Amino acid sequence: MELTYRYNKDVMEITEAASDTDVEFDIRVLSEELWPGMKKVQRFFEDNRVYTDVLFYAYADHHYRVIVRQDYYVDFILSLLKHRLVESAEWT
Amino acid sequence: MEQQAIWAIGIFLLIYALIISEKIHRTIVAMIGGLLMVLLGIVDQETALHHIDFNTLGLLIGMMIIVSITADTGLFKFIAIWAAKKAKGNPVSIMIALAVITAVASAFLDNVTTVLLMVPVTFSITRQLRVSPFPYLITQILASNVGGTATLIGDPPNIMIGSAVKELSFMDFIVNLGPVAVVVMIIYVPIFILLFRKQIQTTPALTKSIMDLDEKELIGDHKLLRKCLTVLGLTILGFFLHQTLHLESATVALAGAFLLLLLTGEHMMEEAFTKVEWTTIFFFVGLFVLVSGLVETGVIAQLAARAIELTDGNLAATSMLILWLSAIASAFLDNIPFVATMIPMIQEMGNMGVSNLEPLWWSLALGACLGGNGSLIGASANLIVAGMAGKEGHPIRFVQYLKYGFPLMILSIIVSSIYVYFRYLM
Repeated sequence: MELTYRYNKDVMEITEAASDTDVEFDIRVLSEELWPGMKKVQRFFEDNRVYTDVLFYAYADHHYRVIVRQDYYVDFILSLLKHRLVESAEWT
Repeated sequence: MEQQAIWAIGIFLLIYALIISEKIHRTIVAMIGGLLMVLLGIVDQETALHHIDFNTLGLLIGMMIIVSITADTGLFKFIAIWAAKKAKGNPVSIMIALAVITAVASAFLDNVTTVLLMVPVTFSITRQLRVSPFPYLITQILASNVGGTATLIGDPPNIMIGSAVKELSFMDFIVNLGPVAVVVMIIYVPIFILLFRKQIQTTPALTKSIMDLDEKELIGDHKLLRKCLTVLGLTILGFFLHQTLHLESATVALAGAFLLLLLTGEHMMEEAFTKVEWTTIFFFVGLFVLVSGLVETGVIAQLAARAIELTDGNLAATSMLILWLSAIASAFLDNIPFVATMIPMIQEMGNMGVSNLEPLWWSLALGACLGGNGSLIGASANLIVAGMAGKEGHPIRFVQYLKYGFPLMILSIIVSSIYVYFRYLM
């Protein structure tokens, strides 16, 4: 089973590339309205007790590189869903 | 020897053995030891309370509150990323920059707090560069203990000495210990580069990814940051002036903490209080009462007399004995209980006619703080980093650390011996 997700391409750009241990996301938040949600996702993973689960690297213009450990992939997608950065997620 | 003194020694040795064995949490063991001293009538409750050094506890609690609120602003991450960019994304330069930041921060915050702030950002940077975090973590452990040596508030042994010896001010610690800490750090930096440069290579693309980072994004709340920086600045200024103002260092730290809580509002208080390391605070309480049993039954006085006999009362020999004994003991035992035992012993030497105790206090501080670098269990900061690294899948083995830590610790104690000899004993 694979977790797939949908998002509004007018307000977000998401690409992901998997390696053996991680999935690397390149995320651009194009809408100001979604930006606070993205910061909440970052805050959640930075404040929890696991330091290497999801690592955020912020660049200019609301551009993020996010390195997600394979075992935290689902948690990360669900957190994006919770803050309405993705519209739906399902097991396929 | 009186029966009570024998009981006190028995309890002390048992508790010490249990702390070393790490079978039961050290706070529980120390508190039980302290309570046994009271329950068995070796010290009464009033005397036990009198021996608890509330200045040490207040200083730790105050600083923990200030740092926990300041950490929330993202300031420490900002500094680390800013430094990584100043180092042009070069992994070796970043390792040195982070070690130097750790040393400086450890001098003005306590070193456990410093490594708790530095390790997460280290994982983040090393993951970005795809290099092993080990060289970064080990150099930060070493730097935190060196930096913590430089000031009264940098390392628990110094907090305890500063609190017990009222004549020694915040400035005295900086003037007397700061130069050694700086020299040791200057000697360590090229050694770090030689030891680790081949282990941390990266690609130009990954270097660029560090250079492109926007560190300003890391500061979440600018208003809170301004409040924190103002209070942190005032608190550090207060430490410099505490003797002139006739204030204890704990008063300065607690005034800073509660001023910050007043400025930030009630909502920050609950969270800030949960971040105070109460286990460490109660560990100190237990130890103070435990050692009070040895003081009140005259055991410490007898030990001091033996030490003076051993060195013939010679100040140079006594200083060197304290420096090396503290260093070796602190490398393999927790330096907090060791210093808690040594402080009354040195005070007792003063009562027995040793007129100039200053070299002995600095020898104890240097030995206990720098000695902590000798092994992975030598200081709380070492254990904290090892614990965090292990949890994240990068375990630091005892022997692996020993290979680097022990020779570097011996080197720092040789430097300290030369310094103590030429500055105080010539």
